[in-house]
Amino acid sequence: MLTLETLRAFGANVEEGLQRCVGMEALYLKLTDKAIRDPAFEELREVAEKGDLDRGFELAHALKGVTANLALTPLSVPIGEITELFRNKTDTDYRPLVSAILQKRDELLSKAN
Amino acid sequence: MIDMIPENGIPTEPGAGRKRKILVVEDEFVNREILNAMLEPEYEVISAVSGADAETVLRLRAGEISLVLLDLNLPDRHGLDILREMKEETRTAKIPVIVLTSDKEAEVECLNFGAIDFIPKPYPIPKVVQARVRRTIELSEDRDLIRDTERDHLTGLYTREYFYRYAAQCDVYNPDVPTDALVLDVNHFQMVNERFGKQYADEVLIRIGRAIVALVGASGGIACRRSADTFLVYCPHLTDYPAFLDAIVTAACGDDKGRIRVRLGVCAEAEKSVEMQTRFDRAKIAADTVRGSFTECIAFYDSAMHEKEIYAERLLDEFQAAIDGKQFSVYFQPKFDVRPEKPVLCGAEALVRWIHPELGVISPGIFIPLFENNGLIRILDRYVWRETVRQIAEWKRKYGRTVPVSVNVSRIDMLDPDLVGTLRDLVTKGGLAFGDLHLEITESAYTENARQIISTVNELREIGFVIEMDDFGSGYSSLNMIATLPIDVLKLDMVFIRSVFRENGNLRMLKVIVEIAETLSVPMIAEGVETAEQLNTLREMGCDMVQGYYFSPPKPAADFEKFIGDRLPTGKPANV
Repeated sequence: MLTLETLRAFGANVEEGLQRCVGMEALYLKLTDKAIRDPAFEELREVAEKGDLDRGFELAHALKGVTANLALTPLSVPIGEITELFRNKTDTDYRPLVSAILQKRDELLSKAN
Repeated sequence: MIDMIPENGIPTEPGAGRKRKILVVEDEFVNREILNAMLEPEYEVISAVSGADAETVLRLRAGEISLVLLDLNLPDRHGLDILREMKEETRTAKIPVIVLTSDKEAEVECLNFGAIDFIPKPYPIPKVVQARVRRTIELSEDRDLIRDTERDHLTGLYTREYFYRYAAQCDVYNPDVPTDALVLDVNHFQMVNERFGKQYADEVLIRIGRAIVALVGASGGIACRRSADTFLVYCPHLTDYPAFLDAIVTAACGDDKGRIRVRLGVCAEAEKSVEMQTRFDRAKIAADTVRGSFTECIAFYDSAMHEKEIYAERLLDEFQAAIDGKQFSVYFQPKFDVRPEKPVLCGAEALVRWIHPELGVISPGIFIPLFENNGLIRILDRYVWRETVRQIAEWKRKYGRTVPVSVNVSRIDMLDPDLVGTLRDLVTKGGLAFGDLHLEITESAYTENARQIISTVNELREIGFVIEMDDFGSGYSSLNMIATLPIDVLKLDMVFIRSVFRENGNLRMLKVIVEIAETLSVPMIAEGVETAEQLNTLREMGCDMVQGYYFSPPKPAADFEKFIGDRLPTGKPANV
């Protein structure tokens, strides 16, 4: 189960995320739990395998907005970086980048479970 | 606005009634929930998770929504497409849109497409989001209020109040651009209404509005409908006014160009230091100089009009001081009974002169129409009546006889419900008989408010006043009407007399009019008689009394007295 402490330990800017949720701790934790279970993470892995840059941009862009709003910095920063790579259709191997993101997500998911 | 006006008619303060509704178009659950948390205390939030969802809500509830928060990256559509469609659709065009985006480059594009603001992602702190939302709704509602009041509902042009404000702004932003103030008036618009119907008349006004915008809009000109059929245009200086007017008339009537006539008053390249409204007043003055003309339809405000206006303004300003300082003098022009071989003084007409300490003697032809236009004539008439009653009484004491004097009663006096009482009190307090004061009422007054005027005149006659119908022959009285009018004397118009003798052939018409007076069994006075030939002709035709320069010009009371002394009771006019 996620708590503010586990999120702080994860590296989230809890105060900022909580403020965006108008100080409602329960809402913040609920939305964070929802965000890290977003199927877009898994799909991101698939599109990285296929090299579908357009879909990759859509997914990364959406995840960037959500994780940034919740101030989940260890996720939002690399997701932001990969979003720009997808946007610019940079010719690179996206798989390690996505793996790193999923690893961070899984770290949090294990706490949530 | 979502807030309803309560039954007591007093609008609630914003936020005091039902919550305003905000449509949040956002596919991400987390983002929607965060926005809901920020907004729900103050607003009712409607969520749409896709472009299709948003379209449905807008189609069904557009009128309820105060604001749309629009995410750009939706699963089925791009937010910019929704934004563009909203701005193209009349029902949704006025709903303000704030775009939600993390994309800096998209911000400018969104604003260009009609978004009013944007909220970045990640979202700012709630207070910032709430403030932006609140301010956007306030501005939008203010803008709607302004839009409703700044535009004329028929033509879409500005209303007068906003027009003057925007015209002044034109001057602020373009101080060196020479500009024209134009007034367009449709001649006899009431007749267009009556002849062709209100729908056609409205269509004419709409077309005129469109034509004006088409002609001057591109150059930064603006226009308003000042009143029913009067348009004001403020635009950079034009060079071809006939072409401008022709284009408007053509647009207004299409192939039926003869159906309406439009007159154009121009105050061209006026000094920008002159008040905006004054410039249009001047253009209106110019337009009115060609009001009845069938040959001229464009008039320019020029220095002569300006001087006349300044002069008129001075007279109006100094009117009360002139009354208080007794600058108005009552002159008396004798009337002679010409039925005896030797004409006999039978009365006089009181005529007012303004002896101005600086301007000298001012012609009543200048100040009477001026005072008639603004009601001051009532004050002046009463002044003349008082002076006349005082003078008749004085002559009565001095000579033991009454010289009946007629005074003018203006059209506007006839509408005064206290007129009868005022005149009765005046004569009674002056110690006169009612028949000593004759009342001249102009012919055209009878035709304007016939029923009321006739009722008032009947009342005055019953008391004992003698009623003279003034200016007979100058108006359009129907013979049928004259036969039923309550009058005691018919006074033939001076201008008519002059024209009759100038164009020899019209003597027959004069004879007809004298016969009308005979038929009605009322005596006739001919005004403006200047020559022996005129006198003799009128006498031969059977005219009873004569007034004019042939006998005497209007004279101050002291000079007039010699007529009384010389001619009463035996009556032998010295110069006849």
